This record gives sequence, structure tokens and C-alpha cells, in this order.
Amino acid sequence: MARTRYVRKLKELRQNVIDMGVLTVRSVEDVLTALEMSDTALAECVIANDDEINNFDRKIEAQCMTLLALEQPMAKDLRMIATSLKMITDLERIGDFVVDIAEEVVTMAKPIRIPVSATKFNELVADVKLMVADSIETYATGNVQQARSFEARDDRIDFLFKNIVESMVNALAQGKCSTETVADVASLLFIIRYLERIADHAVNIGNRVCYMEEGDRRYLK
Amino acid sequence: MNNSIEISVKNLNLWFGKFQALKNVSIDIQKNQVTALIGPSGCGKSTFIKTLDRMNDLVDNVKTTGEVLYQGTNILDSDTDVVELRKQIGMVFQKPNPFPKSIFDNVAYGPRVHGVRKKQNLNEVVERSLKAAALWEEVKDRLNESALRLSGGQQQRLCIARLLAVEPEVLLMDEPASALDPIATSKIEDLIYELKKDYTIIIVTHNMQQAARVATNTAFFYLGELVEYASTIDLFERPRDKRTEDYVTGKFG
Repeated sequence: MARTRYVRKLKELRQNVIDMGVLTVRSVEDVLTALEMSDTALAECVIANDDEINNFDRKIEAQCMTLLALEQPMAKDLRMIATSLKMITDLERIGDFVVDIAEEVVTMAKPIRIPVSATKFNELVADVKLMVADSIETYATGNVQQARSFEARDDRIDFLFKNIVESMVNALAQGKCSTETVADVASLLFIIRYLERIADHAVNIGNRVCYMEEGDRRYLK
Repeated sequence: MNNSIEISVKNLNLWFGKFQALKNVSIDIQKNQVTALIGPSGCGKSTFIKTLDRMNDLVDNVKTTGEVLYQGTNILDSDTDVVELRKQIGMVFQKPNPFPKSIFDNVAYGPRVHGVRKKQNLNEVVERSLKAAALWEEVKDRLNESALRLSGGQQQRLCIARLLAVEPEVLLMDEPASALDPIATSKIEDLIYELKKDYTIIIVTHNMQQAARVATNTAFFYLGELVEYASTIDLFERPRDKRTEDYVTGKFG
């Protein structure tokens, strides 16, 4: 195998993206646990850990720029670097939404109550969590079939999001919320919005993996 | 690739004695586009380009089969007027090879051979050709100086001007910038980009970045085979063949 040093650098880049992804997945899981368990300490911990995700973002961007500037990557190597460069922005944005959710968790009254169907809310949470984890897995494994399923899974998440928002707005309109809980309902509205956006970034990652694996730009919408 | 075709090569095979240097190569070269030929040393890309103006005729013991269709005729046919063919399909070589004559006489050489005698006509051809080769501004005040006093990059552009003076249709370039520094190289590349408006250009290059910069389409040769031929962006961003992928990513062997 020629270009041993270059191949090693590509492997390091790929591993760093996976590590950043794993960290982001853990962050998503932790903040949703904090929400479920009304755990302020865990939420604060998640906020503090965002620096680590941001550090990965800067480090990986530098790695990508070095490879582009010095190694003239082509074909799949080029697509992997381009995918990584874009994907870390998606991961970094997911990290920011996690912080937004954590900040809501910190300010909400404890224990946190969900004023709508817990089933739908839990389904939304589970779906988003799984999709973020799966998006990192598709990057690591190159599973294009799995990546292509994200659009349909996101449609389901969008449906749940709209449904839950509607229920919350109805609850507010019908005066089912006490004066004390109105602020928490507003926080929950923000939280589900953040979750819906997190899922959008997971879809982006899936599309980029399709490009990385097959070179088809149609997925880069 | 739906532009009109300048040269259509069909099932081209070429042997040097018992060694088969080209294996069943079929390729359509688009008119007024730059086509780059890439591949490792010995892959057949230079042999291929030399076939297009019958330069391999100069090598002993060469045998070719197949067709190279240009303007409706197979140029491999024995009755092809090779002098006329080389007027229409000209070659620029790796190392600039100006004649040991003045700048003017280098460019006027071809037209004189083809019968242009009037000084006024020669002046016009020389100026037009040097302008087209982006050299006029640098040499217009010293046309009678020896061409050998020019820099390497200028000499290469002079050789291109010398080709343009006989009004060819196709320019073959065999690693035209490999002996030049980056600044002279970029001038040649800019020139290639400009020339494709009026000429069909086929360039052999070892420099993949150069192919990526100047060519519309790129062909990858390996062991005498045309492995892959695609738009340059497709070949470098999403090659179909594993051998192309390995070559363009530098992981060959």
C-alpha cells in the first residue's frame, strides 16, 4: 500500500469523527435522561461537556484542511474528507441543541411533568435518540441502506412533533395549565422543537454518508 | 458527453514486436474540449496519443489494428497523407524543441513549408499565432532573436505558436508542462483553457491536478487498456473502477 502516512492520517480523521459522534450521542442521551429524571446536576454536566464537542469540531476541521491543502485527496478519500468537514458542523449544532435543552431542564420546576400524552412524547424522544446514534453508525459502517431510511424516520418525527405541539397548545388554550406550569410548558415546546431539529441534522449526516459511499450528489439536498 | 466528436477510436490495438502496448481501446474525443490521458508510466497513454498523428510509424516493428476515425476517414489507412494529417493534428512535446532559428522563423516555418511566401502574410500569421499562444507581448520587440534565448515556458508557448501557425484542428500535448516551473506551468494551463475554444486538445499528463484543472474529460489508462473514461469531475470525485480509484488516490501497488 502506497502513501502510508496519508492513509494513516485519513484513518485518524475518520476515528476522530466517530469519537466526536459518540460523544454527541452520549450528550443527547444524557440530556434526555436529565429531562426524564429531572436531574439538574446531569443537565449542568451536559452543558459543561459541550466544550469537548466544540474542541473536536475545531480539531477535525484543521485535520480536513491540512489533508486538502497538502495531500490533494481524490475520489472516496476526497468524499470522506468533505463529508467529515460538513458532518462535524451537524454534530456541533446537535451539541448546541443539547445545551439548549439542558438549560431548559435546569430552569424547569422539578419534578418535570409532561402535560400531554407521555406515549407520544416518549416515542419522539426515543426516535430522536436512536436516529442520532444510527447516523454515527452509518458513517462508521458505510451502511447506505440504513442512511437512506432516515428521511422516512424523520417524517415520523415531524408528525409526532406537530402532534405534540398541537396537544400542548390545546392544553394551554383550554386553560388546563396552572399559572405555575405555563413557563414549563413553554420550555417543553422549545425542547421538542430542539429535538425535531436534532433529527434534521441526523438526516443531513445520513445524506452525507450516501454521498461519501456512492458519490451521488442527489442526496446533498 | 454529448458534444460533437472530433476523433473516434474504435478497437485500437498496437504491438511493438510481440509486446502489446494498446489493448482494444475505444474512445470518442469531443470537439473543442480538453481531454486528459492519465495513468502510470508504461500504461500506453503516450503511445495512444502518438497513434493519433501516426508518430508511431517512426518506430520499427509496429503493428496496429482497429480504427482512428478523423473527418470521416481511418487515419491508420496506408494511403493517409501523413504530412497533411500532422498539419491538422499537431503535437507539443514534453521538452520544448524550438528550432535554432529566430522566434519569427520558428513560427513562420510551417506556413513557409506549406507555401506561404509573402512577407506581409507571414507577418500576419506570426503575430496571430504568437498572440494565440499568449507570447506576443513578451517577444514582439525581439522577433529576430534566437528562440533558444527564451525561457523554458516561453519556448514551450513558442512551440505551441509554431503549431497554431499551420492552422491545425487538434493539438496533442505530451506532458507539455512537466519540464516547467509552477508559474510557466500555470501560463500553459491558462493557454490550454483559452485554446479549447478553437481547438480540440488531448493532453497526456502525469500531474493529476493538472488534468483536474484543465480537462473536461479524463481517460485513465492501465497496462495498455482504457480502464475508465468520464467527465473529469466524475473520474476524480467518483470513479467507477477500483483501479481508477486506487490510482487517483495514490494507493496503487
